[in-house]
Amino acid sequence: MTPSFRTGAGRRSIATVICGALATGGLAAAGVTALAPEEASASSHREAPLISGTPQYDNTDVYAFVSPDKPDTTTIVANWIPFEEPAGGPNFFPFAEDAQYDLRIDSNGDAQEDLLFRYTFKTHTKNDKTFLYNTGPVESLDDPDLNITQTYDLELIKLKRLKAVSKTKVADDVPVAPSNVGKASMPDYDTLRKQAVHKLAGGAQTFAGQADDPFFLDLRVFDLLYGGNLSEVGNDTLKGYNVNSIALQVPNSFITESHEQPVVGIWSTTQRKNAKGYFSQVSRLGNPLVNEVVNPLKDKDKFNASTPRDDAQFLENVTNPELPKLIEAIYKIPAPAEPRNDLVDVFLKGVKDLNQPPHVTPSEQLRLNTSVKPAAKPKRLGVLDGDNAGFPNGRRLTDDVIDASLQVVEGELLGAKNDLGDAVDKNDKKFEKSFPYVALPTEGSRGPLAKGVDGGNDVRSQLGDALQPAGAEGSDDMRLMAASAGAGAGGIVLIGAALMWWRRMRNRAY
Amino acid sequence: MPPRPTDSTPERPDDDRVPSTDPEPGITGEREGGTGSGSAPGPGVDQRVAAVRRAADGGRRWRALHVAGCAVLLAVAVTGGAIAVGGAQDRGAGVDAVSAAGALSPGDLARGDLDAGIASLQKHLRAQPKDFGSWATLGVAYVEQARTKGDPSRYPQAQRALKRSLGLEPGNDQALAGQAALAAARHDFPGALAHAERALKQNPYNERALCTRIDALVELGRYDDASKAADTADDRRPGIPVFTRYAYVRELRGDVRTAREVLERALNSAHAPADVAYVATALGQLAWNQGEYKTALGHYARALAADDAYLPALEGRARAQAASGDRTAAVRGLEQVVARFPLPGPLVALGELYEDRGADGDRAKAGDQYALVDAWTALARAGGANTDLETAMAAADHGDKKEALRAARAEWDRRHSVHTADALAWALHVNGRDEEALPYARRATATGYRNAVFLYHRGVIERATGDDRGARSRLKAALDLNPGFSPLGAREARTALKDLEGNR
Repeated sequence: MTPSFRTGAGRRSIATVICGALATGGLAAAGVTALAPEEASASSHREAPLISGTPQYDNTDVYAFVSPDKPDTTTIVANWIPFEEPAGGPNFFPFAEDAQYDLRIDSNGDAQEDLLFRYTFKTHTKNDKTFLYNTGPVESLDDPDLNITQTYDLELIKLKRLKAVSKTKVADDVPVAPSNVGKASMPDYDTLRKQAVHKLAGGAQTFAGQADDPFFLDLRVFDLLYGGNLSEVGNDTLKGYNVNSIALQVPNSFITESHEQPVVGIWSTTQRKNAKGYFSQVSRLGNPLVNEVVNPLKDKDKFNASTPRDDAQFLENVTNPELPKLIEAIYKIPAPAEPRNDLVDVFLKGVKDLNQPPHVTPSEQLRLNTSVKPAAKPKRLGVLDGDNAGFPNGRRLTDDVIDASLQVVEGELLGAKNDLGDAVDKNDKKFEKSFPYVALPTEGSRGPLAKGVDGGNDVRSQLGDALQPAGAEGSDDMRLMAASAGAGAGGIVLIGAALMWWRRMRNRAY
Repeated sequence: MPPRPTDSTPERPDDDRVPSTDPEPGITGEREGGTGSGSAPGPGVDQRVAAVRRAADGGRRWRALHVAGCAVLLAVAVTGGAIAVGGAQDRGAGVDAVSAAGALSPGDLARGDLDAGIASLQKHLRAQPKDFGSWATLGVAYVEQARTKGDPSRYPQAQRALKRSLGLEPGNDQALAGQAALAAARHDFPGALAHAERALKQNPYNERALCTRIDALVELGRYDDASKAADTADDRRPGIPVFTRYAYVRELRGDVRTAREVLERALNSAHAPADVAYVATALGQLAWNQGEYKTALGHYARALAADDAYLPALEGRARAQAASGDRTAAVRGLEQVVARFPLPGPLVALGELYEDRGADGDRAKAGDQYALVDAWTALARAGGANTDLETAMAAADHGDKKEALRAARAEWDRRHSVHTADALAWALHVNGRDEEALPYARRATATGYRNAVFLYHRGVIERATGDDRGARSRLKAALDLNPGFSPLGAREARTALKDLEGNR
């Protein structure tokens, strides 16, 4: 900043200088007209990031079911951080330390939570001289070779009219099951999983850690909504990816209003600490796919910040959903008549005489009648197929919610029989027989999955069953294979993993 | 962080590359010219030439034509390079399709891998061109890539992608937010604000619109509104994009402590290398502004550990090295930076370091840097970017003073920020109009923003208007705050202060 300096004479010609600069490659490297990174001298324009992935704060799924091996208890599973690749990239997926992970329970159907289980996490590094996750084979959770660990506290908050009436630390410094980085590092991962199951007073237990993503679907079905011709479906597009799970098993009597009123409503939320130091809710999830199927795009972020007691604002999204209209426009399957009170039952009140609490205040929650005994042979379509122990009465890990939701939205409950679905009917990995039930995480030693997903042939079938759009060849075939996540209003669908990622990341980036 | 072009060979042979697929599915015949190496002009260059000529016309110095001529050369080379680079990267990191439509590799994205994400979005959109949401996302991704790569050829691509999205779904908030981001990147701040407000009407929780609204208000100098907008954004969408802006708004109001705390919190929650690099660099700049060079160097090291090619960190480190007396390292660092991105800021800083060093040939070297500023400016204008503030700052000290004043005035007419006030004050000063300059210099320092350059400028102007007391206290404040704020400026400030003390 010299006020008076003028460059002297005798300089090389400007052209030479510039061409010299060209020759150094700087100007040729696609950068010369870049608007300044923020520090052009005293320049003001700071260009800060717009896209920042925040998977640790994004709820992907909530499950709630009467425990099959302990029918006097209910198990709740909630997942975060989708698409954890077992290999490649960072192989350690921590829970966020500046977040509260909540499981919320409405025992009396008034759309206000009565119980709140709050998980908060801390990260510990044994040796901060190394970036390594583990410095040798890990044989137990307290193995010194496990360099980076997480622990969590679990707090139980009881509320009356949304005011906390009691707060209890029910668990302190419980270890989190680590990310499964492979056979060499973790020869017996099953032991680590078992050690991470923590018993609580009164017959409850808790777990936090990595698991195989139990959600299964074939994302390609969404192509149909753009009139795409489907060439093949039936691959579990989430196969091989892991998530971070929180699981809690509690006696039914602890969460229900009374023996006579056994229906509870469940959802999970994530709050993130903001710049002012308060916690803001950034994610909310109850029923699967609501924010994808039912809410139009512009409402998705608002829904994530909202609470069930304010759900009246979303009522019209349920009574007059856009997905059936979209499907009708493309596939000529008539949309059921509106208002869709059948959907209000499924998504906002619970199905009458099954999981609808008396005097229910309509609001979006995953509602579970804890008195329905677990099915010996669960059917993937749950209630739609006569199995009342499954979705939409709660949600089991094996429930095929893509197919069930789609059929419900297309009027199955109104007698409009259909067989819509995505041809993926089960998860690629077997679920465990006991708490926390979620499958062990896919391990990291099977090579990178960075090339998307390996296309196994597990459920490849029904190729010919894919409905083609009207006007396309073979459109006389009236069966549709389309799905739901992301297929919200106005034809908004992001496809493939783009959709999935978006569904999971709430469109924060891709 | 995406890989960046770092090799320093001009004629980058691209023959060994498979030509990339059209980066914009469904859009044919609209690509900018360029065949890969910076030699073959393609279609679209003519326009550029015309634009550069227009930019070169009107009241520039004799050498402007020279510069413009070279700028054409550069423009061709640059776009060629851009396409080559972009093209190479558009092929994506071997992202295989999950589906017939082509799907993202979500793991990459969750880790913030922009390039792979863009590649798969493109692939997906070739199969599903009606997906308005993905078009909007692609548009924003291009804007983000223009920032991280310094590749302005992405702007027209972003514009087209956003237009596609809006054509398919008029008024959708994602595309509106994308337009806001694009307008801000092109320094059209009133436009950015309008688009952001429209997006927020649709979706009050749109993170990008919330962020761009803050950016626009800051740049327009509406600091109270920016502060409110930052509070709202923080309540609705806490996260790294909001935190970084929140901190900057606080810093501009002189609340360094809060800015630091918020950035530190952001750093703790940052995982993606791009985020770590950005936030650590912001912390480095904040420390540097307070004259805490050692702390700043620590932050820059952290940023470079996350991304060793992150230019703002390289530049910041060089400035901090210069300020703490390590001129050799600083020169080396800035030479690296301008070799890749000859932007006015680092060019001027390097030029001044050469002058300060004063070795044989350094004067000419310094002059070369300042000449490049002119070339950059002509080019940027040709690309439709508004660079007047940068121009004014560089030209006032090292170029055409009249041009500096014209540019500063033009920018002041557009927006009244502390930065434009300072630029106008200084441009008036170098043109000998100190009385006129004084109110602007005062305005630049009125928000409490702790910036040594602004204080120094004000002190010099006060001295010129005969206010010795004011000048003393301002110059002292500048040197107390950040004694190495600029190689030459700090020296001038010390000399002036000595004179003033002598005159007492």
